[in-house]
Amino acid sequence: MTWIALIGLALATILVPSLVPRPLLGNALVLALAAIKGRRIALDFLDLRAAPALWRGLVSAWILVVVLFVWLTSAVVALI
Amino acid sequence: MSAADCEPQGTGWGILDDLPGDPMIWVLIFSELAAFGLFLGAFTVARAIHPAVFAAGQAALDPGLAGLNTVVLVTSGWAAARATKAARASERRATRYWLLTAMGLGGLFVAIKLGEYAEEIGRGIGLETSPFFTLYFLLSGFHLLHVCLGIIILALVCRRAEAFGVETGTAFWHMVDLVWIVMFPILYLVR
Repeated sequence: MTWIALIGLALATILVPSLVPRPLLGNALVLALAAIKGRRIALDFLDLRAAPALWRGLVSAWILVVVLFVWLTSAVVALI
Repeated sequence: MSAADCEPQGTGWGILDDLPGDPMIWVLIFSELAAFGLFLGAFTVARAIHPAVFAAGQAALDPGLAGLNTVVLVTSGWAAARATKAARASERRATRYWLLTAMGLGGLFVAIKLGEYAEEIGRGIGLETSPFFTLYFLLSGFHLLHVCLGIIILALVCRRAEAFGVETGTAFWHMVDLVWIVMFPILYLVR
């Protein structure tokens, strides 16, 4: 199930730039999909679903910090 | 409180004992995540400073090939997760089958990436073409080295195919998978 979800999300990620011409929205979608895929990998493949919340939180925070930083930076550049 | 209450539990790694596999691999995983996070942050800042250079560089890449590599690596991660499940059930034959599948797909990822590099280099693109390509080759090359190291680790744990070793090896492999999932859109798709 996780594999099917990840493949579907990966294909959706590849299609987003051609389907969404507005960079700000396209970037947000592509990065949101990356964050969802990353979290599924952390929980279901890295087996953090059963691990203490501290480790789940740390890996999820890494994913969130990276994608948010990238999106915010691209948004600032687009708005300047 | 008795003296026994003060005795360390588990293998002596404290809260790291609650994670699957050898706690030492998790020290490595968190260090690698920090390093890749800083690299990706540096790439993002450089893109903000040179938006036109980065847009031109990104346009010269092949996102379709990188997308195919995403499917290959995700499938490899799934096979590695199946190997862990089989190893926990003490099914050595199935464990080896899934580990070999994961390694084969990892090898396919390497072959596709090297083919992509060869095609880019054939067009005259190199490390010094632009700041985009300097960071692109460094970031994707650093990740590619981790894929190669991951294949070696999977091959090492495949020999005994016991749960603890397989959990340790596949944890590293999933970290490599996770980093690519985040890196792929940043290098190829974010405009």
